[in-house]
Amino acid sequence: MRQKTLEIYSVELDGTKDIEKTDEGDGKEKYRGLKNKCLDLNKHHQKEEFKKELDLDDHKLSNKELERKYGTDIITGLSSSRAAELLARDGPNALSPPKRTSEIIKFLKQMVGGFSILLWIGAFLCYVAYGILYSSNTSASLDNVYLGSVLILVVILTGVFAYYQEAKSTNIMASFSKMIPQQALVIRDSEKKIIPAEQLVVGDIVEVKGGDQIPADIRVLFSQGCRVDNSCLTGESEPQSRCSEFTHENPLETKNICFYSTTCLEGSASPAGTATGMVISTGDRTIIGHIASLASGVGNEKTPIAVEIEHFVHIVAGVAVSIGILFFIIAVSMKYHVLDAIIFLISIIVANVPEGLLATVTVTLSLTAKRMAKKNCLVKNLEAVETLGSTSIICSDKTGTLTQNRMTVAHLWFDNQIFVADTSEDHSNQVFDQSSRTWASLSKIITLCNRAEFKPGQESVPIMKKVVVGDASETALLKFSEVILGDVMEIRKRNRKVAEIPFNSTNKFQLSIHETEDPSDKRFLAVMKGAPERILEKCSTIMINGQEQPLDKGTARAFHTAYMELGGLGERVLGFCHLYLPTDKFPETYSFDTDAMNFPTSNFCFVGLLSMIDPPRSTVPDAVTKCRSAGIKVIMVTGDHPITAKAIAKSVGIISANSETVEDIANRLNIAVEQVNKRDAKAAVVTGQELKDMSPEQLDELLAGYPEIVFARTSPQQKLIIVEGCQRQEAVVAVTGDGVNDSPALKKADIGIAMGIAGSDAAKNAADMVLLDDNFASIVTGVEEGRLIFDNLKKTIAYTLTKNIAELCPFLIYIIVGLPLPIGTITLLFIDLGTDIIPSVALAYEKAESDIMNRKPRHKKRDRLVNMPLAVYSYLHIGLMQALGAFLVYFTVYAQQGFLPRTLINLRVEWEKDYVNDLEDSYGQEWTRYQRRHLEWTGYTAFFIGILVQQIADLVIRKTRRNSIFQQGLFRNKVIWVGIASQIVIGLLLSYGLGSVTALSFAMLRAQYWFVAVPHAVLIWVYDEVRKLFIRLYPGSWWDKNMYY
Amino acid sequence: MRRQLRSRRAPAFPYGYRYRLDDQDEVNQNYLADEEEEAEEEARVMVVPELDEEEEEEKEEEEKEEKEEEEGQGQPTGNAWWQKLQILNEYLWDPERRMSLARTGLILVIYFFFYASLAAVITLCMYTLFLTISPYMPTFTERVKPPGVMIRPFAHSLNFNFNVSEPDTWQHYVISLNGFLQGYNDSLQEEMNVDCPPGQYFIQDGNEDEDKKACQFKRSFLKNCSGLEDPTFGYSTGQPCILLKMNRIVGFRPELGDPVKVSCKVQRGDENDIRSINYYPESASFDLRYYPYYGKLTHVNYTSPLVAMHFTDVVKNQAVPVQCQLKGKGIINDVINDRFVGRVIFTLNIET
Repeated sequence: MRQKTLEIYSVELDGTKDIEKTDEGDGKEKYRGLKNKCLDLNKHHQKEEFKKELDLDDHKLSNKELERKYGTDIITGLSSSRAAELLARDGPNALSPPKRTSEIIKFLKQMVGGFSILLWIGAFLCYVAYGILYSSNTSASLDNVYLGSVLILVVILTGVFAYYQEAKSTNIMASFSKMIPQQALVIRDSEKKIIPAEQLVVGDIVEVKGGDQIPADIRVLFSQGCRVDNSCLTGESEPQSRCSEFTHENPLETKNICFYSTTCLEGSASPAGTATGMVISTGDRTIIGHIASLASGVGNEKTPIAVEIEHFVHIVAGVAVSIGILFFIIAVSMKYHVLDAIIFLISIIVANVPEGLLATVTVTLSLTAKRMAKKNCLVKNLEAVETLGSTSIICSDKTGTLTQNRMTVAHLWFDNQIFVADTSEDHSNQVFDQSSRTWASLSKIITLCNRAEFKPGQESVPIMKKVVVGDASETALLKFSEVILGDVMEIRKRNRKVAEIPFNSTNKFQLSIHETEDPSDKRFLAVMKGAPERILEKCSTIMINGQEQPLDKGTARAFHTAYMELGGLGERVLGFCHLYLPTDKFPETYSFDTDAMNFPTSNFCFVGLLSMIDPPRSTVPDAVTKCRSAGIKVIMVTGDHPITAKAIAKSVGIISANSETVEDIANRLNIAVEQVNKRDAKAAVVTGQELKDMSPEQLDELLAGYPEIVFARTSPQQKLIIVEGCQRQEAVVAVTGDGVNDSPALKKADIGIAMGIAGSDAAKNAADMVLLDDNFASIVTGVEEGRLIFDNLKKTIAYTLTKNIAELCPFLIYIIVGLPLPIGTITLLFIDLGTDIIPSVALAYEKAESDIMNRKPRHKKRDRLVNMPLAVYSYLHIGLMQALGAFLVYFTVYAQQGFLPRTLINLRVEWEKDYVNDLEDSYGQEWTRYQRRHLEWTGYTAFFIGILVQQIADLVIRKTRRNSIFQQGLFRNKVIWVGIASQIVIGLLLSYGLGSVTALSFAMLRAQYWFVAVPHAVLIWVYDEVRKLFIRLYPGSWWDKNMYY
Repeated sequence: MRRQLRSRRAPAFPYGYRYRLDDQDEVNQNYLADEEEEAEEEARVMVVPELDEEEEEEKEEEEKEEKEEEEGQGQPTGNAWWQKLQILNEYLWDPERRMSLARTGLILVIYFFFYASLAAVITLCMYTLFLTISPYMPTFTERVKPPGVMIRPFAHSLNFNFNVSEPDTWQHYVISLNGFLQGYNDSLQEEMNVDCPPGQYFIQDGNEDEDKKACQFKRSFLKNCSGLEDPTFGYSTGQPCILLKMNRIVGFRPELGDPVKVSCKVQRGDENDIRSINYYPESASFDLRYYPYYGKLTHVNYTSPLVAMHFTDVVKNQAVPVQCQLKGKGIINDVINDRFVGRVIFTLNIET
């Protein structure tokens, strides 16, 4: 069992094996749940293909064997008919788009999600009630029909709104298809043809040249200087050469396979690199296809806020349904007509459901999303806005996210000294000592022994931004020398190049021979750069302070120390040497032949070392510190080498200055790694190889045990495993990344963050959020916004829930005490969807009460959006006070019109009899049915205004949860005042403007009734201030625990 | 087997020691039959109260000590007492959640006071409300105006269907009318109310809390419809009497010299379906002396004036829709939504 589990990790990147193995497993491997899920999705139609892929050994086969295997001919290619056959069998060479849920289903889902189902039931019951009434009396009142229609309208409107919001988010696979090269040059029927890449089939012979994207996974048959950029696959930015030789067991490492959608680099050499290859897999069967299916197979986890909202919906719906049913039973047992009881049930449900809240939440989230977009965080999935706020672990990719994704000269070593070069984004202040004559020589070598060139026409572009033709390290050297020496091209012109041996992987050096710029000096200058140990071999002297000295053991040791030190920083080191060719042997007219090598390549003079690194972005260390203080653990996950990864981690603070890994401690104490107490080490650097051998438990232990972790040399699968591991710690995990290889992890993470500039489209599509400026620091902004929105959503929900009690009580009192109905169901909807909407959105603009970046991220299981204190305080404290206030207005209106409260008790039955047209009030006056109904509407309006006035107070108190209103400032959030104004205006409009529309049940209300509830509103405000005061005075007390929401 | 279980737990013991005891010991005790282990277990249990006591507040400690004394007596009986005590202890003071019965009580008390003060507030508010409201005069009467109209006899329906020759079909109208008119009996009216001069308001100045006198409206005013001469109110002859009553409104006064009049006609259809109607009192109006109404608190014996319509010649054997309207200044009788303001519509279907 154990053995099997281990084997699962033994294949990197090639997802097929993992999946295949798990399939054979007996299902006990819980840990592989994800894979199982992923498998289940694809099992049936892809299983066969996986099996075939399993023995990818094309890189080991000879050309002949390949020809046989794929039934093709390297010279003549496939025949058109055979190609057509294969095309019919395998399908086009394109990534199949994921199954989309049809728009209709998405739409319908919105229609039944959340509270909608309750409202549908309500509407249905309305029609049923009307139907029953109608069957017994054809002139039945249309009230129920109005209500049913309004409920349906509400459901449809909110559904359409939510659907519209969701439709904005895009689909992951869209861009994979964009990556497909449009055309491919293929040999078929002995002819070279250009065909759409989609029509490629296995066995096709294709030609690729510099600048092309590789049209499918191909086995290289012939190559000339072809180099590919695999960065979108592995995250390594180093170009890799491709030839026809089999160099590695692992298909990913071997040099004779090029992968679909990677780029063949445009070299500066002429002719540009070309390659001929045989297509070995197409479409979904390519490596990229597997990663794509891995990414789309990863289930879309519910965002934390979605979980919270669901939790909240459950609470509210639970309360609504249970109170509804309870009172249904009470009503029935009180001998109410069942039909009436059903109508009560509807009313109770409608009163309890905050119809407008989900729309409000959506608006609130999208407002924050807009605000974040301004700060360069583009949020694709609205709910992800909050996720960042609850993030407790960030798994960050290194290249391009933490670093600038560009090789830069970091250190120099000459004259037995190490100099530091400026690696900031603009290289502006290079402060090392440039007076030494050794530097003069070194700079000349750097300038001359370099084939990279600026693309023409960029005179006005700052040096660091100029586009360069050439590979990463040459570019770094070119820019470095351009910054320090000025016009490099001019210097090169003055020192005309007469011969050159380009860099290749066998020599590991690059040599060029130049005329010198000094016209009196007729010697040729041979300059060479390359792997330091190779260069040193070719040297017999070394330049110290401008003087050539014999290379003795001491200097050689110094060289090695420097080399090790720079290498230990994770930097790529290059050695530089030169040789002035004597004029007697090499006169001016001497013709150099690079093939015959008729010039010396040894006994050079060693000048110096220069090391390069992809330096961290300058804003990252600060951002990492901020994340730390916000209680967020930052883990680096990279495909790069552990040494480089560790160096970068140290420089950005992911591994803090004073923490050590087990290896560090072992080194320091000079003991074996096994002897070190693991508890002493705060940091850990784990390679993919080590991760492979870890059991899930060990990984859990690792993740829990070390606060600072770096994962290096990881594959996309392992990234997924790490993310899963973090999620098992109940952490909310954010993953940042830019490459295709990151996309599964981005998808799996609670929130995937892609880089906007450097990021591949696949990564952007898998992500929930895109950092437009590629700046890790933007994440901090995102976290802050996310936390703020969580706090503010609490306020919004508290605000909205409060009035539910004030809306619910009328029905309960109506049923139990038999008062004329204090507020109508439709009137309630005007509160929920009218007056309350803008104020609850306004709470989203509230500023933070304290420094939200200094507290720990919320625990996703413990710190709920809607918790007990919130519900209790909203329902049983403020809500109840509101209900009382509203009842006061209601009683005032009735009493002043003639019905004193004691008369109202148990008046309901008589009141509602249509044929009683001389109902006596407290003064002996007699009322017709219609007069009573008009009075009832006046009562609705009064109750409505009562709630409205107190909701203003509620809005004000909800501005803060802990601080006093005055600490927060009454006028800092102007939108709140817009909200209050909107409430009043809508209230005025409804009670005065629409008083005559029968269906709306509003009536004109005397102005003074607006003020009846004001004392209650003040009371609510005072009460809440007292609550907050006690919370501030006695933190941790019983009061604080039960009254702080 | 069990030993394994224990040994596996053992290493973790020092860390979560107390915590574990709290939630596991009782369960474990039940499992353990092995005497050796039971002893061990007991030893562990014994530690619990000590540890707990350290945590507890002084008061509860005292409480505890009392309990321990009790326990001392119970000790010989064995472990059962211990367990019960544990349960009781946890009920009073649950160390895990740091909650106790006392706290639950505290919460209840706090809520009691909170709601009590809310009740006080609402009572105060209602009291203030009543201070502003006169028990004699409603503050506003705009909703109850203009006056509505009702007819008698009335039994859930405005359709008068009866067969002259079948007394069963109209007997209930007669009973209803008789019952309604009991309050109008001449003797009663003469005894309770005053005979005030007709044609003018019966205005009674003075404090509003003074009892007001009411004007007589005698049953005999209704003449043929009084039921005195014809105890069947004309139903037995196919000439039914229907009484019309205007809704009371405090302070309502018809125009001086222009009392509210009643007039009935066929609502839809042939005007001649009703050939004659006799009104009693003959003026077919509500005399001014019955106004204003001072409210039921002071105007106790107020008797609503009536107008009786005697449908002496109505087409028989078919439904005749009748609309009776009030006419006069300040009377509105054409509100679309309210078919009882200033008018009343009913159908007569007299079969012979």
